[in-house]
Amino acid sequence: MIREPPAFFHRGPSPLARVTFFTLAAIALMIADHRFHALETVRLSLSVLAHPLEQLAAAPGAMMGRVADYFASQDRLLRENRELKVKVLEQSTEAQEARLLKSEESHLLGMTQAKYASNGVIAEVLYTARNPFTRKIVVDKGLTNSIQAGMPAIDGTGVVGQVTSVGTFTSEVTLVTEKDQSVPVMIVRNGLRAIAVGSGKDGSIDIPFMPVSADVQNGDMFVTSGIDGTYPPGLIVAEVTSVQKNAAYVFAKISAKPAAGVDYHRYVMLLPLPLPSAAPPESKADESPRKGGRERTRARRQGP
Amino acid sequence: MRPADLTPLARDVMKLPASAGLVFFSILGAYLLAVLPWSGTWLLARPDFVLLVVVFWALHEPRSIGQGVAFAAGLLMDVTDSMLLGQHAFAYVVATFVVQIFRVRILTFGLGEQTLHMLGVTLTASLVMLMLNLLLGADFPGIAYFFSPVLTAALWAPANWLLYSPAVRRRRGGAPQ
Repeated sequence: MIREPPAFFHRGPSPLARVTFFTLAAIALMIADHRFHALETVRLSLSVLAHPLEQLAAAPGAMMGRVADYFASQDRLLRENRELKVKVLEQSTEAQEARLLKSEESHLLGMTQAKYASNGVIAEVLYTARNPFTRKIVVDKGLTNSIQAGMPAIDGTGVVGQVTSVGTFTSEVTLVTEKDQSVPVMIVRNGLRAIAVGSGKDGSIDIPFMPVSADVQNGDMFVTSGIDGTYPPGLIVAEVTSVQKNAAYVFAKISAKPAAGVDYHRYVMLLPLPLPSAAPPESKADESPRKGGRERTRARRQGP
Repeated sequence: MRPADLTPLARDVMKLPASAGLVFFSILGAYLLAVLPWSGTWLLARPDFVLLVVVFWALHEPRSIGQGVAFAAGLLMDVTDSMLLGQHAFAYVVATFVVQIFRVRILTFGLGEQTLHMLGVTLTASLVMLMLNLLLGADFPGIAYFFSPVLTAALWAPANWLLYSPAVRRRRGGAPQ
């Protein structure tokens, strides 16, 4: 009869057994996170733990920035102030016109109920998400400011992206240049509808599935069409930079440059999602709004 | 018997265990370095400080630091880097496993050769994460991605000077020569 030798030193399972166990655990976690989005609470609670540490790490940089702000020259501030005043004057006429148009529109469409619960929330961009495989930014508003996944983010010149993950104090905005991040758009010049899809490269958006015969020119401006019920219509998304029409292919190859300073802004505005009661107008129902991209379906699932 | 008479491995076995505080605060410090606001190419080339420290303790404190700690540290990194939950954990566990298998061999070498071994370990971890992300449909992020494991391995000697000397000094101070 063979007996096991007595264990002089307790060592537990062998490294191979351990690595098998932990590998299986990691793969299970990845499947749960990727397929079922089941671990948002785990992520949320871990991010609450990590938040003070991140702030501690960011503290020296933030302090430097504050000191630099304090010593900003009077001259520069005055100049900025003057420029901003001119800008406000220029925009005030447009704003008044817009208000008039809006009231006319609401009369025409018979929109008796408000479409949006509140105005946008201004958020400061904290840092670029430290993930080399995706294009995301982290902003300083989260669940405590009633941010929801799916809210569009814009800056002064156009659409920046969409909130895709909300933490307690921060949330992540996926930029429009992220691969497969899609925005329903239309051309201002002729109302042609399309889907703008991020290319995964900095400063470039693709417009796939446009036939070769489509009327698209260099310099055309794409704005959100609003048929998806997430982005309000009329926000500038991108400007066409190149159109390649090759008869050998079914679709034209169109690339565009994002209008917003997607990589270098400091503040963004997070726009509220439309209220669920505000159904899209009937006339647009037959145009079958395409739901492009994973992020959108994900955002939709988490929506109210 | 003087410490110089011992083989490197025996010297490592004979030393006093590092204090739990040193282990904890070294991992915390590495984490703080990792969460600095890196971006762009700097982010791609950012050395994996947490992996470096975890692997260091897995090599020198095999009884207390192993794959469990690597797994937990990896989960923390996944959350802070907003990656798919589990991929840092996977890579760290594999790297720790490699170190545990080759532990005796690595300890017989000097710092220079150890750095070469670490290059293999860090490259393994980076390749694991790269393969996972490519499988999930990401694009190859650029050649700068491979600067990160090289820089991590290059930090092996500084990490040794920082972390190993306090542990050895305790032994010299405490034991009669």
